[in-house]
Amino acid sequence: MATASLIADSTQIAQGAEAVSDPPSRNTTRKVYKAYIHTSFDSDAKVPILLKHRFKKQYRHPSLDANLTRARVAGEARALLRCLRSGVSVPGIRMVDATEGVLGVEWIEGKSVRMLLGGGAEGEEEQVSDSEEFFDDTTDAGGESVSHVDPLDEYQVTIDEIMGLIGSEIAKMHKADIIHGDLTTSNMIIRHPFAAKGPSPTKLVLIDFGLAYTSTLVEDKAVDLYVLERAFASTHPDSEPMLFAVLEAYKKGMYKDWTTVERRLQDVRLRGRKRSMVG
Amino acid sequence: MEVYDYPHFNLQAAICLFTDVKNGPEIRKRIIEAATCQGEEGEALRDAVNFAFVDARLITSILHLQTAVFYALLTQSQGCLRTKTVHSEILWALNPSNNISEAIRRYGISDSTTSLLVIEISVLPSHHDKIKAIVDGTVSPFPRLSEITDWATIKKYHKLNGELAIQHLRDVATAHAMIDEIVVSTVATKSVSQ
Ligand SMILES: Nc1ncnc2c1ncn2[C@@H]1O[C@H](COP(=O)(O)OP(=O)(O)O)[C@@H](O)[C@H]1O
Ligand SMILES: [Mg+2]
Repeated sequence: MATASLIADSTQIAQGAEAVSDPPSRNTTRKVYKAYIHTSFDSDAKVPILLKHRFKKQYRHPSLDANLTRARVAGEARALLRCLRSGVSVPGIRMVDATEGVLGVEWIEGKSVRMLLGGGAEGEEEQVSDSEEFFDDTTDAGGESVSHVDPLDEYQVTIDEIMGLIGSEIAKMHKADIIHGDLTTSNMIIRHPFAAKGPSPTKLVLIDFGLAYTSTLVEDKAVDLYVLERAFASTHPDSEPMLFAVLEAYKKGMYKDWTTVERRLQDVRLRGRKRSMVG
Repeated sequence: MEVYDYPHFNLQAAICLFTDVKNGPEIRKRIIEAATCQGEEGEALRDAVNFAFVDARLITSILHLQTAVFYALLTQSQGCLRTKTVHSEILWALNPSNNISEAIRRYGISDSTTSLLVIEISVLPSHHDKIKAIVDGTVSPFPRLSEITDWATIKKYHKLNGELAIQHLRDVATAHAMIDEIVVSTVATKSVSQ
């Protein structure tokens, strides 16, 4: 299998040998790699891509599992394309091998918002909602280098600006009726200023559309925001002002659709609180 | 001309950009002849035009073409070609709809073609001479492509007019980069597009 040998030649970027286990709702395992798919004999210019490989730990129903993996990969690819066409900042798509469970996307040189906010390095991490984070979120190739520069300075960005970008990108996405399904600060990358492409590149890139789907329902959009709130609260201390800034930008982007989402978000929060009191 | 290595398929792809092409109609005639001629004579004719000929006006970047090449290689390796050859599969990959003759009509060589991208997928290093023997034009560096791309037609074929991603962009270069990204991603997702 060509894609299998491509993966064998690629560099896994997860820290540690173990792949991330999905929550039961995902029921698959995935590994990510840095890979090169078009190597020129005539020049050294190489552009990396990110390969995301989904597979089963155990194959209980091989054909059923294969169909499920296929559907997941196809779903993630379609959600990304829909985002691109709607002007949401996401990685471009480079290859899809749904049969092998592989999706190849544009490599984003940067750091996750989680890392930029000091959301903890490996080992000292807390669990974010129900998705496990065993990754070192640094996506630069070296990874190890210890720098004493404030990463926010290095990335020429302020916390306020990041929060504004998060809010406005989510608003664009929701206006296009795309629900992300796993909005955490690990699933947002800030491009390194040196890796900026084009004349006016977007600094913030939303990634990981593995749980994304389309929906026009206000409920789904409100829950999407609630997942983000919970992720912020559990990963970043004093997240309230940050969340406030996110919602301000979201509100601006949603314009007249904001009030219904806001009302529903309050409902969802209330339900969440009740559930945690009971459970 | 550049040659790319695809070691996981055991294949290579040579891509050559020609501008000022003077014999578009003749090449087209030769392709049709090769397709209809039988026997040994047909084999020879087919061998001489065994390339993908792509009208460069509809290509937004080399990555766009490479993405179609990769798609064709992958589809061939899975035994799932939708067209007759890996070369025609490249044209199929470039067209956003699922219509083979439309793909060839739009993205293939036509009588009005003056800029041409020729692709050869092969096991052994490509014979540049064979490609140059068939096209009467000037071999040009890839950056020349930016002067050739017909953005209006590309937007039409990909139904991008009025699409949110492009609407707000005032700057032309940014808009082109955005269209390129959407077009590349559309080719990449061809196998799972509904
Ligand atoms: N386009 C990309 N460019 C660079 N690194 C990426 C990209 N997409 C994901 N990553 C890295 O890989 C990790 C896992 O990818 P993600 O899509 O979030 O998969 P998962 O479903 O395993 O969370 C991310 O946390 C990030 O560090
Ligand atoms: Mg993730």
